[in-house]
Amino acid sequence: MTKHDTTIYSKFNPYEDFQQGLTSDKLESYRTSVLETLKSSGLILRQKRDNLALGAICTLPYPQVSDRARELIEDETFCLISEGAAPYHPRYVAPDYQKLLSQGSEFLELAPATDLYEATAHLLTAYYYLPSEPVFLGRIDALLEPFIDTVDEKTAAHVLRSFWLMADRLNPNAFSHANIGPEDTKIGRLLLDIDRELKTLTNLTLRYDPDITPDSFALQAVANTLEVTKPYFLNHPSMVEAWGEDYVTASCYNTMPLGGGIYTLVRYNFKVAMAHGDGSIDNYLDRVIPETVERFVEVVNSRIRFLVEETEWFESNFWVQEGLLYRDRFTAYAGVYGLAEAVNELLVNAGNSAARFGNNPTANELAERIVVRFGEELEKHPGAYCGGKDGKITYHAQVGISSDIDVSPATRIPSGEEPELYAHLAAEAPLHRAIDGGVSTVIEFDQTAKENPQAVLDIIQAAHGMGIRALSIGSSNSEFIRVSGWLIRRSDLERAKDEKALRHSSSYLGAGFFDTKPTHLHRIARKV
Amino acid sequence: MEAVGQNKMRTTSDDGIEVGLVNKVLSQSFVDGPGNRAVVFLQGCNFNCLYCHNPYMINLCNHCGECVAQCPQNALTLKSGCVTWNSDACVECDRCIEICPHNSSPQVRTMSPKDLWEDIEPIATFLSGVTMSGGEACQQTPFVREFFSEVRDKSNLNTLIQTNGDLLLEEIEMLLPVTDWFMVDLKAFNSTAHQQLTGRTNHRVLETIRFLARHKKLFQVRQVIVPGFNNSESQATEMAEHLMAIDPNITLTFLRFRPHGARGEAKTWKAPSDEIMDRLVEAAKKTGLQHVNRSI
Repeated sequence: MTKHDTTIYSKFNPYEDFQQGLTSDKLESYRTSVLETLKSSGLILRQKRDNLALGAICTLPYPQVSDRARELIEDETFCLISEGAAPYHPRYVAPDYQKLLSQGSEFLELAPATDLYEATAHLLTAYYYLPSEPVFLGRIDALLEPFIDTVDEKTAAHVLRSFWLMADRLNPNAFSHANIGPEDTKIGRLLLDIDRELKTLTNLTLRYDPDITPDSFALQAVANTLEVTKPYFLNHPSMVEAWGEDYVTASCYNTMPLGGGIYTLVRYNFKVAMAHGDGSIDNYLDRVIPETVERFVEVVNSRIRFLVEETEWFESNFWVQEGLLYRDRFTAYAGVYGLAEAVNELLVNAGNSAARFGNNPTANELAERIVVRFGEELEKHPGAYCGGKDGKITYHAQVGISSDIDVSPATRIPSGEEPELYAHLAAEAPLHRAIDGGVSTVIEFDQTAKENPQAVLDIIQAAHGMGIRALSIGSSNSEFIRVSGWLIRRSDLERAKDEKALRHSSSYLGAGFFDTKPTHLHRIARKV
Repeated sequence: MEAVGQNKMRTTSDDGIEVGLVNKVLSQSFVDGPGNRAVVFLQGCNFNCLYCHNPYMINLCNHCGECVAQCPQNALTLKSGCVTWNSDACVECDRCIEICPHNSSPQVRTMSPKDLWEDIEPIATFLSGVTMSGGEACQQTPFVREFFSEVRDKSNLNTLIQTNGDLLLEEIEMLLPVTDWFMVDLKAFNSTAHQQLTGRTNHRVLETIRFLARHKKLFQVRQVIVPGFNNSESQATEMAEHLMAIDPNITLTFLRFRPHGARGEAKTWKAPSDEIMDRLVEAAKKTGLQHVNRSI
C-alpha cells in the first residue's frame, strides 16, 4: 500500500511527506498551518511556540525505514503520537536530582543545596531547564527529607506548599509526576496534606509496599485519592522485581530508570494490526504480531538512531556532562492500545460473538495470550542504545489520545463494560504482570469509601497481590476526572469547549477525549 | 437439602450438620464493620419493625405457592408441597418477593458452614472480614457459630455479627469465642417507642449492649433515626448517658431512615434532615460519649 490519500494521512499535517519532507507544492499549506497557530485564541504563548516547533520539525523527512514499516505507519498500525518527523530530544527524562542537590550544577551556576529553601529552589530551576517535557519531578520525599530539619515545622510546611504550587503552575501539565514512598517520611505526609488542599493537576504516585509503608501513611494516601484522584498506588515490590530499586514513575504512569529516560514512544494498535492477517486467532498470534513487531522495532530504532547519532544529543548537554542523565540508562517505549477491540473482533470472527473482553473467561484468556505474545516478540529484537532495559525496548500500555476513536486505551476493558470490581481486577491483573513499563487500572468508589478507607486499602492490597502494578482510584463525585492516565478538572472541560485559553495542555487532550468517548464521563459508580 | 417447611427454623440437616438459611451473600460492603467485608444475610427475624427495609427476610417461606405462577422465568416450582427455587434460571427480578403475602422469599439457600465458606473463600483476599446480618443473624446462632469457626480455621478474616440485640445471654456466650465484634441496632432507647417500632421491648437489647461492652466485643451501637419515634434530642441525651455509664468509649452511630425500600405506612414517612441528624450527634456528644457520628 503506497497510496497517499488524505484519509491515510489524517494524523499527519497536510504538508508532511514521509520520504521527502516539505516540498515546494506544499509550502502554502505549511504557511496556512503556521498562521492558524498564530491566530488561535485558545493557546497561550508557550503552547503556540510548541506548535510552531513541531510544525517546523514536520517539514523534515522521517528517518529512513523499509517500505513495509512505512506502510504500517501510514495505515496507523503504528502511531508516532505527535513526536513529529524525528525526535530532537528524548521524549521523557528522569534526572538524578539527588546528585544535583548534593553537588550543585556548574551549568546552572548552583552550589550544593544547604537548606530547604535552596533545595526547593534548585529543583524548580532544574525543571525549567529540563531537556524534555517536565514529566518527572523527582522522589520528592527522598530529595527533601534531608533538609526538613533545616527550618522549623511551620516553615517547612510553608516552603513545601509554595514549592508544590509553583511546580504545578510553572509546569502546567498533568503529565508532570512526582513520586513518594514506600518509606514513611515527614515530607511525604506533608505533601499529601498540601496536595489535598491545593488540588493541583500534578500527578503523584505512592510507591506502596505493605512491608515498608505503614498503614497510617497508606490510609492518608487513600483518603487523598478519594478526594483528588491521586496518588496512584504503585505495586513497589513488583516494580523492584522488574527494574531494581532505581526506577521512577513519570508522565501518566510510565516506568523508566532513574538517571535515564525514554528516547521515543511509538504506539502499536492491536485493533488496526488485525487488518494484516486473515482475521483468525492463530494467524494473529503467530503471524501478524511477529511480522509487525519486527517492523515496529525497526521504526523505533530509526528514531533512536536519529536522536543519538544525527542530533548527537548526548554529546552536547549539561545533563549528561554533569552526570544527571546517563545514555546507558535510556530505553524506548512500545506503547500498545486497542487490545479490547482486537480481542472482541477476533472472537466474532471465530464465531464467538458473545464473548467480550472483561466479561468472559475465553476473551480474558485471549487478551492475556495477545499481550504475552507481543512481549515475547518484542524481547526478540534488540533496541538501539537501550541500555536502560538490558538492550530492549520497554513494553508499555499506552493510555490513548483524543483522536483514538473506537479504540480502548492501553490494555483496558472498555469504559462502561467493566465487570464488578473483583472480576475487573482479576481480568486485568495478568496483563499487568506481562507489562513492566507502565500499565494501570482505574477504579472508582462511591461516598461510603470516604468513611472506611481501610476497605479501599484491603482492595489495593488484594489487587497488588494478584499482580496489578498501578491503581488509579477515584471517588464518584471527585472534582477531578482521570482521563486514561492523566487528570483534568471538570470545570476545565467546560472551558475548553468554549475555546478559552487553558494553562494545562493536557486538558485539551482530555476535552477531545470526551467528545469521542462520551461514556467515559458516565463511568458507572461502583455501589458498595 | 430439601427446603424448610412451616414457620419453623431448621438448623440441622439429616446427617446432623448445622445448616443455615441464607438469603444473600454480598461480596463487598464498606458499611458493615471495619474494612471491606462480605456480608451474609440470614433469613428470618424475631422483630417486625414498622420501617423494615428488607421485610422479605422476616419470615420463613410457608410454601403457599403464590409466587410460583408469577415467576416470569419459571424459576419456581411447587413439588410435594414445597416451593423450590432454581437459582440458575432466576434473573433476580424479585417479582416473587414483591408479591409474597408472608414477608418472605423463595430465594433462600440452605447451606452448611462449609458451603457458605466455599462461596466466600475465592474473594477472601479482598476482605478484612465477614459480617453476619439478616433478618436477624442470631435467630440461627448454632449455624453462625459453626460458620465462624470455619472462617477462623481457614483464614485470617475477622468476624462480626449485626444484631437487634434481643438475645439471651447464653446465646451470646456461645458466640463470643468465635466472634470478634457485635454491632447492635438499638431501634429506640425509649421503651414505648421501641415497642411501637418493633413489637418488642428493649429490655434484653440493653442487657446485650451492657454484656458485650463488658466483654470488649461491642463494635458499635447503631440507631436508625425515624421522625416521630426517636428523633428527639432528649432521647438521644438519655441514650448517650446510659451508654456513658457503661463505657465512654462506646461508638454510637445514627443512621438516617429512608423511605425508599420501606413498606406500608413507613413509605410515606420522611427522612430526617441533616439538621436533625447533627443536633442528635451534638446532644449525644455533650454527655461526654467519645465516639458519636452519623451516616451521610
